[in-house]
Amino acid sequence: MRNQPMLTALLALAVACVCGRGNANAADLKIIANPSVSASSLSSDELKGVFLATKTSLGDGSHVEPVLEKGGPVHESFLKTYLGKTDNALETYYRSLVFTGKGSMPKTVAGDADVVEYVAKTKGAIGYVGSGANIAGVKTLEVK
Amino acid sequence: MPAKTLALAAALSAAPGLVYAQFDFHVHGRDVQVHSFASQGFAYSNHNNYVTMNTSQGSFRLTDFGFNASTQLTDKLRVGAQLYDYNLGQLGKWHPSLDWGLVDYRFKDWFGVRGGKVKTVVGLYNDTQDMEFLHTWALMPQSVYPLDVRGDSIAHIGGDLYGNVPVRKIGTFSYTVYGGKRPNDPDGGYLFGLSTSSRVTLPNGTFIYVTSSTKSITHYSGPVFGADLRWTTPVKGLLVGASYMKQDITTTGQYVKPTTIPYRLVTLKDPMIAFYVEYTLGNLRFAGEYRREIKTGVFNAPTGILIPGNENARSGYVSAAYRISKWLEVGAYHSRFIANWSLYHGDPMNHVFDQAVTARVDMTRYLDFKVEGHFVDGAMINSVLDRGFYAAPNPGGLKPTMNMLVMRLGYHL
Repeated sequence: MRNQPMLTALLALAVACVCGRGNANAADLKIIANPSVSASSLSSDELKGVFLATKTSLGDGSHVEPVLEKGGPVHESFLKTYLGKTDNALETYYRSLVFTGKGSMPKTVAGDADVVEYVAKTKGAIGYVGSGANIAGVKTLEVK
Repeated sequence: MPAKTLALAAALSAAPGLVYAQFDFHVHGRDVQVHSFASQGFAYSNHNNYVTMNTSQGSFRLTDFGFNASTQLTDKLRVGAQLYDYNLGQLGKWHPSLDWGLVDYRFKDWFGVRGGKVKTVVGLYNDTQDMEFLHTWALMPQSVYPLDVRGDSIAHIGGDLYGNVPVRKIGTFSYTVYGGKRPNDPDGGYLFGLSTSSRVTLPNGTFIYVTSSTKSITHYSGPVFGADLRWTTPVKGLLVGASYMKQDITTTGQYVKPTTIPYRLVTLKDPMIAFYVEYTLGNLRFAGEYRREIKTGVFNAPTGILIPGNENARSGYVSAAYRISKWLEVGAYHSRFIANWSLYHGDPMNHVFDQAVTARVDMTRYLDFKVEGHFVDGAMINSVLDRGFYAAPNPGGLKPTMNMLVMRLGYHL
């Protein structure tokens, strides 16, 4: 019985881990791209590759680059749904690329409107916004 | 406490507030990113002086900083460089060095090349081991990532072939194949250990290291090549990998007494193989690594006689870290190093085992503070496979166990 508090703590930790994973929903998000991106869809693995800087072009060979939101529910939802990383972990990942010479920090902007504005004017840009965002000037990519 | 250290600590605290945004500028329409980092540490141990610091009295001589600039010249071509400087006890000595400087051309996502001075990919964290802000720990597991001899594996002058190969439903394979030359680290622990101590064989066949100034060892270098393959598995959060590295290092210097003949240590074989795993579940992260390093070498004694110097080391660790909140992370690891696998592992002069517990506080996005306790069993000295203990900073000898408190304040931008 001496181990009961320890077991209780471990159980609580496990429950916290499982519950903490959240209920992110891809339907709450739109993946958008500059009209120069010829693809109309991409796989979730391709999308993950673009945002982890392991994929710099899609099937047609055109260069793509990610743009991220600095924080907020849309950003958190995107990380949970498609990248499987926390915000801290993603930032550490990018910094490990930057400080070893293996990559650059991606563009980050404040919110949906700024993402749409940046994607609309930047060749190859791919970003994410909430499902209710006004996405004039960009195209939507279907994630298979 | 040196005034320089206090000034640096003050600067560390103030810098993020002074320069809150990432520093970017444009040259001919190209975005140039500039990033920097710095850290100041303090270590206090109940016995022994660790990594040449005077830790038994408390030491602030654990400082490093660096900054880099890089730019994407075209969609496929990138260039950049990073300067690095450190002062660690009697090592580093504030002598700045080019940490990396490279040209990178990615032909395809599955094939790219980079050349110049390149950080060497070995195991999970070899290329990021000296950037404390990327890790939970104030000191990385020293069996695998020793502070004092970072220069022995941190970078090579040469090139990499690299790429990422996604395989449907199986995950993604990332490879790096590299070759080049291991640059000299004149202010690192390897040359310090060789220059300041000598191995004395006792009548019963065992040996000890004693403080000695009979030789001046100034240079080591040699060809290095290797490969790393890591598999991001279809199991969410699970990464496994393996690395291989081969170096042929020639170390040179001079005996200063009783003779003045040249000193030369040549490794005939030095293969190192590593296996590693990392598993992330939400805010919980587990990691583990195992390494085997077998060195076969020969060096000349002051008499000119050639003496074999063979090593058969094993090292590894397991760690767990949990991020409780945006600003607090806690973790622990168990690290093991055995200098000669064929000798008795329980001999404290043949191993260093380290249990560490850590709390990392992220005070802002750019500023972190760590408090870490180390419970170290073993005080191995080996002038070819250094792991923190040296004869010269411990003239009264070493005790077989040591507890140590390490605190570290770091910023990055």
